[in-house]
Amino acid sequence: MAVLQPYLYTGGVHKHGLLIELLEDLGGYIIQKVITGTEVNLIMLIPEKDVPVVKKQSDELLGMMIEAPLTGVEIAVVSPTLASHHLPHSACDVAEYLRHPGANTNMIGLARGMGRRVSLSMDYERKLINEHDIAVFTFGSFSDCIINKKPKLFEGIEIPIVVTGGPDLKTEDVPGADLYVGNIGRTSHRLRKTEEVSALDKLNEGIGKIADNIRKQQAKDPLAVLPARVMKEIENQVPEIRTVLSPAPLTLQLNGLRVKLPYDEFHERLEKLEFDEGVNLSELSNISRSKMKNYILIKIKSKSDVGFAI
Amino acid sequence: MDSLEIFDVESAIASEQEFYRKIIEDNLVNLKLAPAIGRIKVVLRPEDSLFQMAILLRDVGTRVTTADVADIEAKPVAREIIISIKKEQYIPELLGKLWERYGKANISQPDRWTVAISTDKPEEEAAFLKDMMVADPRHRLHENLVDFAIRVTPEGFRVRYHLYKGNQFIFVASEEALKQEWIKEAGAMLEELTKGGKK
Repeated sequence: MAVLQPYLYTGGVHKHGLLIELLEDLGGYIIQKVITGTEVNLIMLIPEKDVPVVKKQSDELLGMMIEAPLTGVEIAVVSPTLASHHLPHSACDVAEYLRHPGANTNMIGLARGMGRRVSLSMDYERKLINEHDIAVFTFGSFSDCIINKKPKLFEGIEIPIVVTGGPDLKTEDVPGADLYVGNIGRTSHRLRKTEEVSALDKLNEGIGKIADNIRKQQAKDPLAVLPARVMKEIENQVPEIRTVLSPAPLTLQLNGLRVKLPYDEFHERLEKLEFDEGVNLSELSNISRSKMKNYILIKIKSKSDVGFAI
Repeated sequence: MDSLEIFDVESAIASEQEFYRKIIEDNLVNLKLAPAIGRIKVVLRPEDSLFQMAILLRDVGTRVTTADVADIEAKPVAREIIISIKKEQYIPELLGKLWERYGKANISQPDRWTVAISTDKPEEEAAFLKDMMVADPRHRLHENLVDFAIRVTPEGFRVRYHLYKGNQFIFVASEEALKQEWIKEAGAMLEELTKGGKK
């Protein structure tokens, strides 16, 4: 199986179709295409050996190609509540910055996450967070709260947990966290000072490492089918996906994808989704109702479960 | 009293103190409160889930009447009153009051600085309008102060006490039931501020 490299292309709308055609010829995938005015952003997966070919085409179009290590990662940015104390700064700044290297982020505001003694999370919220690849919890400025009180919100979270907060703590100090990044505490202004932006850079870098670790772990027992391939097949076989207005109608995850179509109407068609090798998607994955709205969640089984990979 | 001549934030850990100072500064700017506050002191005790704030306000102007913000001219022949705006910031309040009294149909704004009212008794109405209260900065200040207090308090601290008397404002918030001594401590902070702080 060809190794795919994630890249982000930024350039003009003019003739960008050439790039898409080239990518299809090479066997790469377009993950997301965002057109804003006369600019286009393409997040794509390119077969490793063909990267120079695509680079050449992008140079001809006077576009820019940068590596996007968080492509195909869905991240939950969890804020204690949705009150003005936490939003739009700093939780939204964190979410926005994580999109630069290609991640898809969802903001989740807990219903009762605020406070020290009284903070708690609901079963529904934990399940929703667990649908993602990585969870980023944005906490406040007090080390006492972050170390002693807030970690109870991590109970029941099975995915890697990243914590941001004001004070400069070590990851070991925060029980249950896989990574702690300081200097991103509660603020009422946009994070744009040098130290704040470098803290965000540190966060992106740390999350990139976590995503790499998950990928490495996966490589030992690979998925039965690439999520990007499922994405392409859905685009071909379920044309209704083009009528969905969400920014990412098909959201890739490290071990599956979220399809933003109503479950009741479409889950059977997705189960019967056919691949050239003659297998159905239901044989390769678990298809369930997502906790997010009424979407469909596809979690792809591993090769050892299915017995083969395509 | 100058604006913000005393601005103290106290907390056990110095770096957290700085974070909090920044939050308070940002919120003061967002709500345009800085000119109204003379002295402010905030004490944070996260280990007790306690937030205390004492504020000494500066003199904020008195009530604003129409004559303060605009020139009023009665035109008996044309049966209208022409209001020429001097201070644009009060237009929303002024228009609101005028609409209520004369109805939207009788009021027109030929340009940004002019409001024309058509009425049967221009002279009497003009005399009335001169003394009509347009805005009360104290009322607006109170609203903003309460908003400010809620915005800077850690969100989980939902048990609150506040006192607003003359130019003094005290705010105590916690997650637990408030203790009487906490409120007294905030009162002592206020006294300290009145005397001119520690320095």
